[in-house]
Amino acid sequence: MNKKEVFKLAKGFRGRAKNCIRIARERVEKALQYSYRDRRNKKRDMRSLWIQRINAGTRQHGLNYGNFMHGLMKENIQLNRKVLSEISMHEPYSFKALVDISHNAFPGNKAASAPKKEGLAILV
Amino acid sequence: MAALSLSYSLVPKPSHNQTQTAISLSRPNLSFLSHSLSHLSITARKQPVVPKATDTEAAFSVTDAEIKSPVLVSEPAEPKREEVFAVVMVGGRQYIVFPGRYIYTQRLKGASVNDKVTLNKVLLVGTKTSAYIGKPIVPNATVEAVVEEQTLDKKVIVFKYKKKKNYRRNIGHRQPITRIRITSITGYQDSPVTTLD
Repeated sequence: MNKKEVFKLAKGFRGRAKNCIRIARERVEKALQYSYRDRRNKKRDMRSLWIQRINAGTRQHGLNYGNFMHGLMKENIQLNRKVLSEISMHEPYSFKALVDISHNAFPGNKAASAPKKEGLAILV
Repeated sequence: MAALSLSYSLVPKPSHNQTQTAISLSRPNLSFLSHSLSHLSITARKQPVVPKATDTEAAFSVTDAEIKSPVLVSEPAEPKREEVFAVVMVGGRQYIVFPGRYIYTQRLKGASVNDKVTLNKVLLVGTKTSAYIGKPIVPNATVEAVVEEQTLDKKVIVFKYKKKKNYRRNIGHRQPITRIRITSITGYQDSPVTTLD
């Protein structure tokens, strides 16, 4: 990369790293290495975030993430975690329907109930 | 864009022979529509293209029953949009789509601009009153779309470096993508339905 491209990529860097070519070149190379690595890490992080969100959504209805996904796999519902997390955030009624389907996939289950409220949550 | 003037009926659909309970719906369901989810990309087979969401239409998206009243003083020129969403699988990835919006998918080979495309792999259809959950797909549901653009994605610099070994590789990459605009979601009415509370 020539100097012009290096300085273009070094915008916003701290101190001399955005102005002086020797320092900027090192920092830009490091930044590009990090971006290569983090394009792979982003996929892991996003999946972890989706799972956390689905977990939170199902626990509001009395199920946890593991049993919920097990029920969905049993019923051959192939929605992925990204879509499930979006539905749990924005479409609460559809998500409740999915939770019910997953819960009823195992005939031994009793009716899923919302968890008991403790402390100040009782007032809500 | 076709003027979608279907009016919603808030009467719950009768349950089919599957074990669904018909509970009358009283609360609005689609809070989705106010969010711009145009970039939920899901890879799919080589299906027809799906249109993207427009920003103007997203701004108009309906969130409660009042907008469907006959006197639309605020938006007289906007066509009435169906309040339905679908989860469709394109290019190996799943997207949440709304009629009138666009999405970016992997390049659909053999589709030129202004081609009509039908997506068959519909995993979930949701309306204000009911959800059609597919196992794995909703039978007979299709999503119609129009190819808007076949472009390359923004450039990504792939820089490989090994320290103290004098190894540096600098490669640019632009992924071919297609922008498709969703026109309609149809064919789901006969499927088993979960009527929502």
